[in-house]
Amino acid sequence: MTSTATSNSPTGGEVLLDVQDLAVEFDTEAGLVRAVDGVSFQIRAGQTLGIVGESGCGKSVTALSILRLLPRPMGHIAAGRILFRGQDLTQVSDDVIHKVRTGQIGMIFQEPMTALNPVHRIGKQLSEAFLLHQDVTPRTALERSVEVLKKVGIPSPEIRVSEYPHQLSGGMRQRVVIAMALACKPALVIADEPTTALDVTIQAQILELMKELQEEMGMSIILITHDLGVIAETCDDVLVMYAGRVAEQGNSEDIFHRPAHPYTRGLLESIPRLEYPRKTKLRTIDGMVPGLLDMPAGCRFNNRCGYRVDRCSVEAPVVEACAGAHGVSCHRWRELPAWKEPVS
Amino acid sequence: MSVPLLEIQDLCTYFPVRGGVLLRARAQCKAVDGVSLSIWPGETVGLVGESGCGKSTLGKSVVRLVKPTAGRILFEGTDLATLSVKHLKPFRRQIQMIFQDPADSLNSRHTVGSMLEEPFIIHGIGDEASRHESVVELLKIVGLQASAIDRFPFEFSGGQRQRIGIARAIALNPKLIICDEPVSALDASIQSQVLNLLLDLQQRLNLSYLFIAHDLAVVKHVSDRIAIMYLGHIVESGDGEEVHRQPRHPYTRALISAIPQPIPRRGRYRQVLTGEVPSPINPPPGCPFSTRCPHVQPVCREKLPPLREVAGTGREAHAVACHFDL
Repeated sequence: MTSTATSNSPTGGEVLLDVQDLAVEFDTEAGLVRAVDGVSFQIRAGQTLGIVGESGCGKSVTALSILRLLPRPMGHIAAGRILFRGQDLTQVSDDVIHKVRTGQIGMIFQEPMTALNPVHRIGKQLSEAFLLHQDVTPRTALERSVEVLKKVGIPSPEIRVSEYPHQLSGGMRQRVVIAMALACKPALVIADEPTTALDVTIQAQILELMKELQEEMGMSIILITHDLGVIAETCDDVLVMYAGRVAEQGNSEDIFHRPAHPYTRGLLESIPRLEYPRKTKLRTIDGMVPGLLDMPAGCRFNNRCGYRVDRCSVEAPVVEACAGAHGVSCHRWRELPAWKEPVS
Repeated sequence: MSVPLLEIQDLCTYFPVRGGVLLRARAQCKAVDGVSLSIWPGETVGLVGESGCGKSTLGKSVVRLVKPTAGRILFEGTDLATLSVKHLKPFRRQIQMIFQDPADSLNSRHTVGSMLEEPFIIHGIGDEASRHESVVELLKIVGLQASAIDRFPFEFSGGQRQRIGIARAIALNPKLIICDEPVSALDASIQSQVLNLLLDLQQRLNLSYLFIAHDLAVVKHVSDRIAIMYLGHIVESGDGEEVHRQPRHPYTRALISAIPQPIPRRGRYRQVLTGEVPSPINPPPGCPFSTRCPHVQPVCREKLPPLREVAGTGREAHAVACHFDL
């Protein structure tokens, strides 16, 4: 299952994060459910990896498990390795993971209001990161907070540090959260739906900001979103997840121009595009994502797939390499008709 | 047809902003500020804008869920803006609404059957047997099993719940449905199913839609004409294809350029707007977009540009509220 994850991308640097056969289970009242099952991927220094999928596909759980932030005691990593700079994060002590969380891997959440503490001033929350990880005085920490706020494009940062989160707009709050994630110059930033709660013109500002900061600071980014447009415009590599498993992975050219999995194709065809003639019927994927407690046997997409054969409901496909680092988890990917771009 | 089904004229909906010990109104939040818009029978008018632009308030004003402050809402010639609740009742049958989050808009303690039966009871239509028949028929039309009748909303997925919301909206054979972000809470693969259903129902039942959403690609796909709203004003309106191909207002251009396209590495020029939407409690003088406009001139900060027709007239008009021809 891991064979395809080895990339020989000429542009990427060293492998920063290597997730191997990750499985995450939740102990629920209704029984043990496997929310993530056999997921493998790599991310190189300075690259952006997009994880895309519909609600419940396991993309956020994958991200949370990298930092061991799964809700306890229900969730736990059941199998697999998460190698960050060669160190297996599933095995290290709580002290080590704490250092990684705040110093080396930053996290940006969807809803900035829940990621910020409403009763503390912005400056105090930002200073915390510096006080914890750098041997500085509170005054220097506050100065650094002003600097980092300036960097994320917040006007008059010296005034903003003494304000509370509710005094800022949604876009500004998200900038503060980004500032917090970047405070200690992490090597990797995990952004879980960072722009979903924002308006489209503000989303454009935030995505642009993240791109600029990446160019300047050279960090890697894992961007989790349900929006294929956001993925296409920001990511080097893409992981398409469905019902807890990898459906397809590859660079964004592979995924958008040579999609090999029926699910990836269905997603690309079902989004309305500005170029389509109005009021035409959209292609759809029939049915809906199965619940974690009643996953179909075999391929988890088989009950919605137009290319289903008997084998699909018996045997689960593994990720096979179709070309280079482009991997697909489908028994029939070779037999699928040639892909026709929805918009030329 | 040459007569509009709905004609909104200079509609204003203001909310008082209260404060102080006595909760006196200190200021006005001008959510909708002088909007004119017409919908002809059988057509879809898409209303696009970012959060806080007043698009939902406009929709709610049309069904009189909020009372407009000024202006007229002519539905087949009758002004709904000033009607009493009693006189409004027959029109409520004609204009229905679909909400964004079906989990919030459906009563969790009622079965699907009783919810769908309610409109018939309120308006005194049919007996128990015929009502049951109508409910079964409605479920079939929106693609749900008849067994759904005895089940509760929580037993359904988001997409199915939105189908229930749609069934309830079409129950009394309305002429106009206000769709307020009907697909934005749904996943991509489910969103296209619901959009197809709405398109299909429009053809079968000759419905008119006011389709409100923040996603321009979705709105353009389902609409004949579209209107772009910003800070309580319509800044551009016209045929959907034309507004997309030849946007005339700087805000429309920025909006189109900000939409992420599912095509990698296009290296296209993106015009990123600086700043944020001003507050409707304290809007800037002159053009509402003047604080963010890349082409701003002194006149923009003084005079509110009227929505003027730049091509075509009446239903075919392409109108823009900008002092300049870009």
